[in-house]
Amino acid sequence: MATRRGLVITDRQVDRSDALLWELKRLLDCGFLALVTTAGQPITTASDEDHPETLSLASLTASAFAATRQLAEILNEREFTLLFHEGDSVNLHVAQVTEQILLLITFGRDVPIGKVRLYTQRAIVVLARILREDDAPDTQLKVDEFYEATADRRIDELFCDNGPDCLTDPA
Amino acid sequence: MPLVNFAAREINYKVVYYGCGLCGKTTNIQYIHRKINPDARGKLVSIATEEERTLYFDFLPLTLGTVRGMKTRFHLYTVPGQSYYNASRKLVLQGVDGIVFVADSQITRLDENVASYLNLWDNLLAQGDDLSRIGFVIQLNKRDLTDVFSVEDLNELLNHTGSPLVPSSAVQGTGVFETLKTVCKQVIAKTA
Repeated sequence: MATRRGLVITDRQVDRSDALLWELKRLLDCGFLALVTTAGQPITTASDEDHPETLSLASLTASAFAATRQLAEILNEREFTLLFHEGDSVNLHVAQVTEQILLLITFGRDVPIGKVRLYTQRAIVVLARILREDDAPDTQLKVDEFYEATADRRIDELFCDNGPDCLTDPA
Repeated sequence: MPLVNFAAREINYKVVYYGCGLCGKTTNIQYIHRKINPDARGKLVSIATEEERTLYFDFLPLTLGTVRGMKTRFHLYTVPGQSYYNASRKLVLQGVDGIVFVADSQITRLDENVASYLNLWDNLLAQGDDLSRIGFVIQLNKRDLTDVFSVEDLNELLNHTGSPLVPSSAVQGTGVFETLKTVCKQVIAKTA
């Protein structure tokens, strides 16, 4: 059967996820945590400072994870549920939370990998419960004709060669 | 599959530029990145081979700013065109809201165009999405060259859905923003 539905994240889900991500950050003493969709879009982050490349990180993480799943398929494995990159100073750990959501964590070389895996596995159980809650009633997108008309006007104003007809401030 | 984040007041849409190798997908994205108001764009990410052929994808986030209280973004992706990169194309198509099929108008590229067009629909059908909810635009690129098919011929060959057609020359910038506007408006209309 053909399926198509948007992923809708409620205030409550983000508040509860944020609280858990910050607790995980404290326990692991790690740098940056984010929930991103498997389509490459960021949902929420826990970091002491705004990461300037959050959009790129989300997009590349989702792609790397998707590639990993394909590798599993080729190797006749049901799935690889996590992805790990080791760097000189920073490590990256990506794990699947739900079918549509991934958890991304960066941490220093001084944090034991086993600890990250253990705490992450526990956190994922809770995160999955939070993010699956309210799933059914909120899947109708709240995009109405007023939104559409305003967005269309903005598209005409902004998506053009940067000349005199372009606005300088999208806000 | 737009992501609607009510906590952050954000809506994110995914638009994919599809087509055969060297048809001009990356050229479209690069032109948009170069010419659009810098306030409306993020960083252009490209995963390419040493010969600058797209290996995995190009990625460019665009923002409309706040629309009726919701920050609205379009994430533009390209796919690698060469036939042997189909696994990568399938991955990039996941969660797509709108597609620009970039056709190379040159007569010598007909077979590649048709193969890519069929490959697109194969991949979309395999994904199991409701295709009526995906925006679709066909860009007829390289109209600045000689020895090209007429618009009518390409419409007959590559447009079984009766989707909007936009003649273009991505290298000169002609039709690039018209294509982008058309697909973005469709994407919003299909989720309204």
